[in-house]
Amino acid sequence: MKLPLRWLKEYVDFNVTVDEFVEKLMWRGFEMASVDPEMPGVSGVVVGKVLDIRRHENSDHLHICSIDIGNEILQIVTGAQNVSKGDLVPVAVVGSVLSGHEMTKVNMRGVDSYGMLCSGGELGLTDADYPGSEVNGILILREDHPLGQTIQEAVGLDSIVFDIELTPNRPDCASIIGICREAAAALGQPFREPVIPPVEGTGNESDYASVTVKNAELCPRYTARVVTDIRIEPSPVWMQKKLRSVGLRPINNIVDITNYVMVEYGHPMHAFDLACVKDGHIIVRNAYENEIVTTLDEKQRAVDPEMLLIADPEKGVGIAGVMGGLNSEITENTKAVLFESAVFKSSNIRRTSRVLRHTTDAAAHFIKGVEPVNAGLALDRAIALVSELHAGTVIGKTIDVCAAPLEDRTVEIDTDHVNRILATDFTPQEMADMLKTICISSRPGNGGLTVTIPHFRTDIESGIEADWDIAEEIARIYGYYKIEPTLMRGDTFRGGIGPEFAFEDLIKDTMAAQGAFEMYNYNFTGPAALDALRIGTDDPMREAVKILNPFGEDQSLMRTTLYMGMLDSAARNWNRHTGQTRFFEVGNVHFDNNDVLPEEQKKLGIVYFSESEDFFSVKGTVETLFDACSIPGAVFRAADRPYFQPGQAAQILASDGISVLGEIGRLHPDIAEKWDLDCPVYMAELSVSALMAASTGVKKFTPLPRFPVVQRDLAVVVDDRTENAAVSKIILDTETDCTISDVELFDVYAGIGIPAGMKSMAYTFTLRSDDHTLTDEEIHAAMDAIIANLASHGAMLRR
Amino acid sequence: MSVLDSLEEIREQALAELKSSKSLEELDQLRVSVFGKNGNLTSILRTMGKMDPQERAAVGKEANRVKQALESALNERKEILLRAAQQAKFELERVDVTAPGRHTLPTGRIHPMTQTYREIRDALVGMGFSLFGGPEIELDENNFTLLNLPPDHPARDMQDTFYINENVVLRTHTSPCEIRALKSVKPPFRLIMPGRVFRVDEVDASHSPVFMQIEGFIVDKGLTLGDLKGTLDTFVRAVFGDEVRTRLRPSYFPFTEPSAEMDMSCTICGGKGCRVCKGTGWIEILGCGITNPHELENCGLDPKEWTALAFGVGVDRVASLKYGISDIRLEYENDARFLRQF
Repeated sequence: MKLPLRWLKEYVDFNVTVDEFVEKLMWRGFEMASVDPEMPGVSGVVVGKVLDIRRHENSDHLHICSIDIGNEILQIVTGAQNVSKGDLVPVAVVGSVLSGHEMTKVNMRGVDSYGMLCSGGELGLTDADYPGSEVNGILILREDHPLGQTIQEAVGLDSIVFDIELTPNRPDCASIIGICREAAAALGQPFREPVIPPVEGTGNESDYASVTVKNAELCPRYTARVVTDIRIEPSPVWMQKKLRSVGLRPINNIVDITNYVMVEYGHPMHAFDLACVKDGHIIVRNAYENEIVTTLDEKQRAVDPEMLLIADPEKGVGIAGVMGGLNSEITENTKAVLFESAVFKSSNIRRTSRVLRHTTDAAAHFIKGVEPVNAGLALDRAIALVSELHAGTVIGKTIDVCAAPLEDRTVEIDTDHVNRILATDFTPQEMADMLKTICISSRPGNGGLTVTIPHFRTDIESGIEADWDIAEEIARIYGYYKIEPTLMRGDTFRGGIGPEFAFEDLIKDTMAAQGAFEMYNYNFTGPAALDALRIGTDDPMREAVKILNPFGEDQSLMRTTLYMGMLDSAARNWNRHTGQTRFFEVGNVHFDNNDVLPEEQKKLGIVYFSESEDFFSVKGTVETLFDACSIPGAVFRAADRPYFQPGQAAQILASDGISVLGEIGRLHPDIAEKWDLDCPVYMAELSVSALMAASTGVKKFTPLPRFPVVQRDLAVVVDDRTENAAVSKIILDTETDCTISDVELFDVYAGIGIPAGMKSMAYTFTLRSDDHTLTDEEIHAAMDAIIANLASHGAMLRR
Repeated sequence: MSVLDSLEEIREQALAELKSSKSLEELDQLRVSVFGKNGNLTSILRTMGKMDPQERAAVGKEANRVKQALESALNERKEILLRAAQQAKFELERVDVTAPGRHTLPTGRIHPMTQTYREIRDALVGMGFSLFGGPEIELDENNFTLLNLPPDHPARDMQDTFYINENVVLRTHTSPCEIRALKSVKPPFRLIMPGRVFRVDEVDASHSPVFMQIEGFIVDKGLTLGDLKGTLDTFVRAVFGDEVRTRLRPSYFPFTEPSAEMDMSCTICGGKGCRVCKGTGWIEILGCGITNPHELENCGLDPKEWTALAFGVGVDRVASLKYGISDIRLEYENDARFLRQF
């Protein structure tokens, strides 16, 4: 919201510095986006007098001037032809700034020029700002300016414009009147609300126009007034200046009046050329199927039946709240005008604006929310301006089709409750006095406050929320900074991280201890990434949740695996030679399960990529993680996944052999290549909830073995597809009188001495008894049993 | 030469040789030449059997004295030589202490966002808060409607939303967790709800379509705006340090009434005004307020009996401020050169 200081001063005495004002507004809930000069992009330009002017010897159009800028006489070369001796002109001296460019000394055909004489255009001025600004040539100033005065002071644009951020609950402040009302309260000054003089019209309005509203829900109030004998001309300088100060371009008196009122009262208006409205009959109705309206910007717009049109009995003459129709535009030939000031439903205008992909200042106001009383005020203000500007003859009375209540609401406030919310101790009278400063009247009585909510405060509810709404107003007026900070009293709360979040911490800390860096990748992916991973059409990973309004196809799905994002980031590190090749991420993936909400699963993803990694380094990390998370006996089972290299992939199961914990494998080299990873890439993905379920959680002490253990090694020759898991199990399951434990494969060998298609697997393990030291006989017996058991499974001892 | 003279000579000679010995080997040779099977002292001792008792006693005593003297001198010399040898070895093993250390398993890194989340969390857990979670894909009802943002509410435009269908959205904030808590946890409670949230924001230095929030939600009887102010001030200073000052100023959120934003004194310039705080000396750190009575009512709680305080912190934002990260994109690029710094 742009608020020129000049405009503010018309309604409020401004008695503080700009910084103080910014802070005072901040404490009222209005943040200052910026404080801008009225003349943007110009600094250091001063008034100078042409003492002398002579032709440049080496040019047929340049002149050399001597310019007195008060404290100094400068030599300046100009190409302008309209400057004479004695003229006062704007001088951009060396070091001054014009539209962002700093002026320097230049040499023009052998003559030094210490600055530049400026045209009105170069200063961003129009005739409305200063007469003569739009002439072809240098701006010639009136003679009463002191030399050396800034150009801002000289043309009367030396003030500032506040740009204030508004919160959506305060549409009333999207107007000069509304924001000045708040500013006055913030400054502790009275608000001089402008009085709109009533205008008696001549004749009878019904002879000229009528209004029918067919959809009162979408248009709760439609007010209109007819003005005839229109004289289209430029609006007065004061109005043009004000419009320009808030960034609007003056057009003509009638259009400018509607724009001016929109800025001043925050209510959008429209003016129709009444001659173009058949029978002068305005009909507010929904659009028909396949109807087309050509709007003021000369675009044909297809409207749909959910949109509200302003029409006459034959055709649409405007799209309600968004833009007027070209067919009823105000032109130089316009003789009679119908001014419209109506209320259109915010959500409907928002939809229309969105569907048509078109927004206007008017639509923005309707979307923020307007109210019916203000609609009437805006029309009255516009008509008063018509009269003041002698722009035409006002006819009859206002046509007013109104289904909306226009009375101010009253609400009973529990002042004790307000005090409880704020931790304050105000009497009802004190609260009433405070509310009065923001133009809310109220009356103390029977332990509370009867508050009359003014029409413009649509944000204050009459229902349950009223106490809280008024509490907020009281807090704003009193000052949040005066509220004493306290710590909550009452019961003590245990608090705590809780098992799930603590488990996530444990996973992350363990992964970091394995040398891995934690990643955060976006949740978005796309079909192409799933294709790149060769995920089959019926794979559950294809059951991704689709986003209706994604940034693009490649970000249109919620990820079903962490792999793609992790590979993107891995590739980035590989290409940038960051030297880090171990990463992990803990994040959610989603599956569309045809339920109301998709299934959300938290995953741990791991990616290791470099020549020095192999399947077992990643597996080692996973095993360490299981150890840290108290997950005993996890089972790795060879498996096929489309993105893993065949023969280097496994499914990971809990010790029950059923619950799936996750998967691990080497990324297929062809896929790695797609990510420009020309090294071995190993990945794993584990379900955090499955890990947590498999975790034994509570740690229990097992007594240490009291009798010595015996370590034994042996090697067996087996078929080269034989898995460690199978052989270990045979050893471990052998029935003997001693306890076999810590079975570990320590060497695999194939080659000389071993038949083709076979391999040697060497194991180490321990034997012990819980109640005595093993004898040699017992050890021999156990070894024989193990060897025999292995042999019975086809694993022959390697001799 | 008498035997006693010989002993004295052996002693003197051995001591002299001992002094000049340069190595353990030389010392050993010397020891053998005196005490060895054919050593000169051994030879003398061997003749003692033939001596008369009186002489034997005198020689024995003297021989013993020489033997002890030499042994102790030998040991002393050995000690010196050993120390010298060790010193020489140490010299050979001298290292350049400024050369880089060897990393067999260099430690990994916890993402700065996780570190920041943990700091915020731990500060609040210390104040009696517990953790509570909710899904990233949410019902429109939980994300908006029950939070006092009905379908036509203009404030819905404050948050550009990714839609899955007309009833399901990617949550735009962690506030829907409040609804889940109100419906499932018996008050009074103090909860924090961390998680990812999503907004239709094109990626740039200060915007990301995915970011992390922590929602704080307290439901109890008799809570006040003063409690909100005191609680948040305590928490912000726990995370940023006691020298930080805070201020609570009015703002607007549909789900709180009164609403506020908390600023803290700029951590970069200490409040003097700089580029980061745009010269104001203050940085916005969180949004908060007293929960709107409609939200409590919507979830079956009597707003006149129970009061709720709510606040939402952007973890990315706190991390950026805490570590001085100028570009939010770095937090999702996972460049190790970035991650290694934390």
